Formats: sequence, structure tokens, C-alpha cells
Amino acid sequence: EDAAEETNISAELIAHRKRLVDEWNTWRVQCEEEIVDRRKGKKGERRGEEAKEEIEVWIDEVIEQIEEEISE
Amino acid sequence: MRPILLQGHERSLTQIKFNKEGDLLFSCSKDHVINVWFSHNGERLGTYDGHNGTVWTIDVDSQSRFLMSGSADNTLRLWSVQSGKCLYKWEFPTAVKSVAFNETDDQVVCITEQRMGFQGAIRVFNISRDGDGTRQASEPAHIFNPIGSKATVCAFSCVPNRVVTGHMSGKVAIFDYKTGEEVDNNERAHGDEVTDLQMSPDRTYFITSSKDKAARLHQTKDLKVLKTYTTETPLNSAALAFGKPYILLGGGQEAMSVTTTSLRQGKFETRFWHKIFEEEVGRVKGHFGPVNTIAVSPTGTCYASGGEDGFVRVHHFDETYFKAKPYGDLEVLD
Repeated sequence: EDAAEETNISAELIAHRKRLVDEWNTWRVQCEEEIVDRRKGKKGERRGEEAKEEIEVWIDEVIEQIEEEISE
Repeated sequence: MRPILLQGHERSLTQIKFNKEGDLLFSCSKDHVINVWFSHNGERLGTYDGHNGTVWTIDVDSQSRFLMSGSADNTLRLWSVQSGKCLYKWEFPTAVKSVAFNETDDQVVCITEQRMGFQGAIRVFNISRDGDGTRQASEPAHIFNPIGSKATVCAFSCVPNRVVTGHMSGKVAIFDYKTGEEVDNNERAHGDEVTDLQMSPDRTYFITSSKDKAARLHQTKDLKVLKTYTTETPLNSAALAFGKPYILLGGGQEAMSVTTTSLRQGKFETRFWHKIFEEEVGRVKGHFGPVNTIAVSPTGTCYASGGEDGFVRVHHFDETYFKAKPYGDLEVLD
């Protein structure tokens, strides 16, 4: 019975979380639409050209790491 | 998560900022210096020398061309990111506490402190991007004096002609910078000083931190409070993670009470909270004093914290951070 109760609670919690995420996602989509509308409304709209700059990616590999513990 | 320790400041950090690509990290401090670092290895790329007082605030434009800084020496300065040269300097009667670029990099907003018979002021400057950047208008395009509680932090809104401000009293407000009118406010956004305000990438929402130990998420257009994160320590900074539904909080006791508390008792961690569920999900230790400022790389691959201890720590997220799904398969939009 306890186990049943537990799964019940967690199912409730999962449902609650799902509701919160759905609520958030709906709001985000709404925000995006508002932004698009605002940009359309702007006269002399500036086209944000995405400058395609090459960015070097460094790979930082740890060969050896010594950790010293200094006692106070 | 192996942190990189950036050693170069001699006094506490006041603000840190990543550039848009996340490869550069800018930091300013009470030691009067601004530094720029490579975020991948912590190597110092250069410094911006010239301020004669605590540098309270910095912001970098989206092209990594111009850097703005505001200082206790009562100046706002424009720097060339690449050369490290100061291109222009504006002087005011009081200290500059907060500065921020707009989305299109052609305006900045700044707050000057209310002090010694001078009213606090919010100014918007048009920034000319022509030529080498040394020809700027000496006068602001807009200036107004908010009445009531002092403004501490500011940023441009997603709504044209509007700036959002956080105040000493805990108030959060929207101003029309052309008329100086307070268009909207939330007097009870926080119960104490608003210490940080960071916008989401599209500026439709923002996060604030406060000395009242809480951080809040607000909708930009009407200041509706979306989420609240209540901690047990005064907060100095709050940042939004990108690509993951987390927020990062930093704080600790006041600097003056640090010496009376043992280091072990100190709560000098960066806390990770779930943005939607308002639950703490983890902590990262490191600083030997309060965390004053936190920034997350726009790439979402690392974050940095600047402390009262004078150090900046850069943490690159490891694979587990990206793979972990502590709440199952829920997709959360940024």
C-alpha cells in the first residue's frame, strides 16, 4: 500500500513538473511570436547579418594532474 | 568540472562578462584594472589601464569591438577591445555603477550614483561605430533622474525606448528613457537591494538577485514575476544558463562579517537552481569569500565566477552536465 502511495505521489509530481514545463514552453513560444511581430512593425528594419567568423576551438587535454592538499 | 583559476586582480571582483562567442572573458575589480582572458585556458590577453578608482561595471558589445566601463573615478570609458586603448571618456559628478549595451550596439545606458548633493541619473548615450570610435558625442542623448530609491542596476528592454532598472529598496522598474517617465514598477520585487540584473538573450525576461536572499525571474514587458528562488544567504549575482534550464546564484555574507566567520562555515558556493521547478540542483565550491559576480558563456559550455577573494574561476561544464537529465525527458525552451 505504501509503495502504491509512493508511486502515486511521484506520478503526481511528474505530472506537476510536466505542467510547469508546458506552461513555460507555451509562454516562450508566445514571446518569440511577439518579438517577430515587433520586428516586423519596425520600419527600416535592420537585417542582423550573422557574421560568420571562424572561431578556433582549443582542445585542452589533461595529461597529468597533481592535487596537493595543504593542511591549515 | 576542473576550474581554471584566473590570477591577476589584487582586489575583489565587481563584474565579469563573456563576449558573444564566449572565447573572451572580461573582468573588473576594485584594483582599478580591467582584464581580458581567454576563457579556454585562463591566459590573460590584456588589460585596460586608466581608471583611477574601483571599476564597478563593464559591458562588451556583440562584435567584441567596444568595451564600456564605469568607475568610482566618476568616468565612463569606451575602449577598443583589440588594442586596449581608451577611445573616449565621459566625466560625471559621481561614480558610474552600472553600464549596458543595447541589442544593436549603438547605445549604452548607465547609472550614476546619488551622492554629495547630486541626484542619481540614468543616461543613454548614442555610440558612434564610425571610424576608430574616438569621435563620440560628449552629451547623452537622453538623461533623467529617477525619483525615490536609488537605481543600482540597469539594462535595455526588449521593448523600444525602455530600460529596466533594479533599485536599492528592492524595486524593479521600467522607464521610458526619452521622457524619463516611470512606465511601470514592482515595488515589492525584492525586500532589499537589487544586486544584479541579467537579461535573457532575446530580452523577454530577466533575472535579478538581491540582498534579501532571493532571486527572481521577471517578464520584461510588464515585470510579472515568473519564478522565485529563495536561498539562505544574501545574493550578489544571478545568471541564466543557456541550453539548460538552470540559473546560477552567488553570494555570501557581507565582506565586513567574513573575518568573524570561519571559512568552513562560509557559504561561498555558486548554487545551481532549476529555472522552472525553483529547486536547488547543485553547488560548486571554490571561493574564499563571497561570490560577487557570475557570468555564463553564451555558448553554454562554461561559466565564471568572480569573488571578494580577488579570484576569477572559470568552470567548463563536463559531459555529465550535458547528459544528465535529473528530471527525465522534459524539453525546456530557453
